[in-house]
Amino acid sequence: MLRIEALSAGYTAVPVLNGVSIAVDEGQFVAIVGPNGAGKTTLFKTISGTVGLMAGSIRFLDTDLASVPPHRRAHLGIAHVPEGRQVFPSLTVMENLEMGAYTEAGRRDWTSNIERIFAWLPVLAERRGQLAGTLSGGEQQMLAIGRGLASSPKLLMLDEPSMGLAPAIADFIFERLIEIRRQSGLTVLLVEQRVAEALESADHGYVLEMGRVVLEGNNKTLRADDRVRQAYLGM
Amino acid sequence: MMLENFLQALTAGILAGSIYGLMCVGLALIFGVMRVINFAQGDFMMLGMYAAYYLFAALGVQATFGDNLGPYVAVGLATPLLFAFGYVIHRVLVSRVTGARTAALEGEGHYAQLILTLGIALILQNGGQILFGSVLVSVRTPLSSSAWEIGPLWGDFVSVFVNKSRGIAAVVSVATIAALALLIARTRLGKSLRAAADNPEAATYMGIEVDHAYRIAFGLGAAITSVAGGLLATNYPFQPHIGLEYVIVMYAGVVLGGMGSIIGAFWGGMAIGLVQQLSTLVLPTQLQNAAIFVVFLLIVFLRPQGFFGRVVERT
Repeated sequence: MLRIEALSAGYTAVPVLNGVSIAVDEGQFVAIVGPNGAGKTTLFKTISGTVGLMAGSIRFLDTDLASVPPHRRAHLGIAHVPEGRQVFPSLTVMENLEMGAYTEAGRRDWTSNIERIFAWLPVLAERRGQLAGTLSGGEQQMLAIGRGLASSPKLLMLDEPSMGLAPAIADFIFERLIEIRRQSGLTVLLVEQRVAEALESADHGYVLEMGRVVLEGNNKTLRADDRVRQAYLGM
Repeated sequence: MMLENFLQALTAGILAGSIYGLMCVGLALIFGVMRVINFAQGDFMMLGMYAAYYLFAALGVQATFGDNLGPYVAVGLATPLLFAFGYVIHRVLVSRVTGARTAALEGEGHYAQLILTLGIALILQNGGQILFGSVLVSVRTPLSSSAWEIGPLWGDFVSVFVNKSRGIAAVVSVATIAALALLIARTRLGKSLRAAADNPEAATYMGIEVDHAYRIAFGLGAAITSVAGGLLATNYPFQPHIGLEYVIVMYAGVVLGGMGSIIGAFWGGMAIGLVQQLSTLVLPTQLQNAAIFVVFLLIVFLRPQGFFGRVVERT
């Protein structure tokens, strides 16, 4: 579904990503882990088009994304739940979800989507009239996830959904994500610093360090790898 | 006598305040929401005034619709012209110094914006002088020299006069703002404009074309201010430099109302109209504008976020 080949990208002349290749197949749950500054968020922004591509290619379904302007990529079926949540603070919860459904598919499926989103994340239904800026961090993260789901995506990209949250809340959100994925069968690409949880639930994982993929494999291989155990799992 | 003077000044204040409020709402879209410091807003208004004037006097609107209805038809026809003008100015010029391109620069690239819009203002003023001449003109309608009498109230003692063209202008202003408020609050377009203003990057992830949203908002801001200009043109003779007199009022109104609040900008403009007119009861008319800014400073001192300043800051 998503094929990234030999990708280099960055903000200035110095690339943050160097020859990164990653593949996500339909229905897969793929996790990308790695330390701060490894380029995980840059990778997501390059897929969404807010960071420019310097070399290599990104193909989504049958489209070369280099020829698709950033705002059209959501309409192809890519939902990007960005780092730090980035909900629209002066819009209500409901309006945030409506903006999630800005895509053609999102508008078409609005009624059934909103029902499912409220069932998965009931707090959003309770707070539907509240301004998103007044929600707690955990609620904002759930709103950001709901907003992503409202677009009827083919690929859901989650950038550190646990960032800045209390461990109990992060656990709860993780558990919700697993449940949403189990029920919907959605293809998920996850970037996460909580390596143990991410690798446990993912089908396939990549370790990104200093802008390069240093390791990849299915979750068993990665969790059994000595380097991963030492550096990320603290074993 | 005192009461009558007070009521008359109050009425004049509400009428003037409605038009100021409308101007401020136009600027609020551009300055409050998109954070573009547009020095040329007053000159956009001037263009709106001349557009209404020429449509009315030279292009057949007066002949077709007459002296009473004509001015308002001309204002209505000038509005899409100014929308298109604002849209194009943003696309060709303003977009080059705003948005993602300059977000990383010092002061978010506001310096370039200031100089650009100041330049646009100078070109419009001086270009206007070449094209339109410096003779005062106005949209002539008999409505501006007749009035409705309200009263007599309280027996025979008190009655208040409402100048017809100013009264109609106030009603049209309030109706325009109500329509805009509905557009912004309820429609998909309005919500996408607010989302793009809140967080342009996240808006892009939703599939919103942020540059397009900004162009629309800029065009709307220009069009709204030009409606105010066109309404003003039935009462005040004007010339190509009139923008300067009003651009300060507009900024004061937006700041008073609270940055980012559309409806706040209306009340900010209304407050300025009221202070301006009520001050004439106790101060010589030359001090009208001084009174506005004394009150402005007082309010900003006591409530720096303005009447309707957002409690929720942008992330």
